[in-house]
Amino acid sequence: MRNLLNFFIRFGAWFVFFFYVILACVILFSYNSYHSSIYFSSANIVSSSVYGVFSDFTGYFNLRKINQSLQENNARLENEVLNLRHQLAEYRTLTSDTTEFAGIPRYDYVAATVINNNVRHPKNYFSINRGSEDGIRKGQGVVDQNGVVGIVNVTGKNTARVISLLNESQRFSVKLKDGNYIGSLVWKGGDPSIAYMEEVPRHVKYQAGDTVVTSGYSLSFPANIPVGTIMNRIKGTDDNFFILKIRLNPDFKNLGTVRVIKDNFKESIDSLSQYDISSTTRN
Amino acid sequence: MISLPLREINTNMGNKSLKYLFLFILCVLLQVLIFNRIVLFHIAVPIIFIYFIIRLPINLKLSYVFTLAFLLGLIVDIFSDTPGVNALACTLIAALRLPIYYAYMNKDDTTNRLTPGVTTMGIMAYSKYLLTFIVIYSVFAFTIEYFSFADVKGIVIMSAASSVFTFIILLAVDCLIPVKS
Repeated sequence: MRNLLNFFIRFGAWFVFFFYVILACVILFSYNSYHSSIYFSSANIVSSSVYGVFSDFTGYFNLRKINQSLQENNARLENEVLNLRHQLAEYRTLTSDTTEFAGIPRYDYVAATVINNNVRHPKNYFSINRGSEDGIRKGQGVVDQNGVVGIVNVTGKNTARVISLLNESQRFSVKLKDGNYIGSLVWKGGDPSIAYMEEVPRHVKYQAGDTVVTSGYSLSFPANIPVGTIMNRIKGTDDNFFILKIRLNPDFKNLGTVRVIKDNFKESIDSLSQYDISSTTRN
Repeated sequence: MISLPLREINTNMGNKSLKYLFLFILCVLLQVLIFNRIVLFHIAVPIIFIYFIIRLPINLKLSYVFTLAFLLGLIVDIFSDTPGVNALACTLIAALRLPIYYAYMNKDDTTNRLTPGVTTMGIMAYSKYLLTFIVIYSVFAFTIEYFSFADVKGIVIMSAASSVFTFIILLAVDCLIPVKS
């Protein structure tokens, strides 16, 4: 008995060591980003308030750059509004007595500030200062003025953690702007401005510099939000498909203000998928 | 009469614990707020928070060292959304701390009461201790995080680049602020 006690006293520290190693391994391997709790992420109350205070200062650093890209985007949108207004006026004269469509708009945007951002890990996340109280829900898409940046992962009361587009385990459904060919966008580490569009059929015609946009087939993003431009083609492992190298539009190192996309039809679409095929074919 | 030196020791210990608590918080905040945002050439990442483990006194109980190292790693993990990576790497490097230290220092009564630093070990021995520590930590951390993601070559390049970068920063910090031991 005394020997046993001596043994424990002598090697007690190593029991502590193995305990921590096992605990760390459990955290490392059992952690699933889709079912993680808010407390265990950078969006928890302590770290988000630390990041929040710090970003109050650092938020000013890239304003010139952000301002410029906002101005460019604003000019483009103004142009588009003018064009659409013109078209609308033409259609009005053609069909003068149809009732105005006054349904609810499908998408709402919530503006949010990025308080903590990473680009150096294989699985990057960033945190924003809006949470469930602002209507942010898991699975909503996040964009900035240049294009897609991520998908909401976990939400706290006033914070949320977003899976960055720069996350090797997150795929985005995208298509070529001209031609409607669908592919899947994935980031593979390294340069935060380069990603890859996979599963592109061989017969697709494209040119370097063509724009890649969201497909609209996922519930997170509406169709035609810009993602990036094509750089060149890369030989894939599969002969029937090839991989396109994409230069991403957003500047991930300087994420400032982003918008979270709320889909007002999401609930009704989700409720549709409850009905299975067999119950409809019986009629 | 007897209680006087005892109390002295206690206040010294308390002072030291406070200092280390301050260093702990400083290391975490500097890492997550500033150094996590720095990446040189897409490969070199400064990992400065392990400075806390580097500066722990040599005669501190091993179980305390493990606990502090694990907590340090875990907190950095939570802040930077890398669950388990730094917690595991920190615990492992904590176990190798004494062997690394004694690889460059003689094992005797004077050396085992020191706090590793430029002033106590001398610049040469301390540099070697620091570099070995950082290299091993970088290899651990990058292997754990990139295991299923990058190839061996990528991990080696990233570890090497990050080690050099971290070493330069930490040595500079040490030369600027010599802490009395």
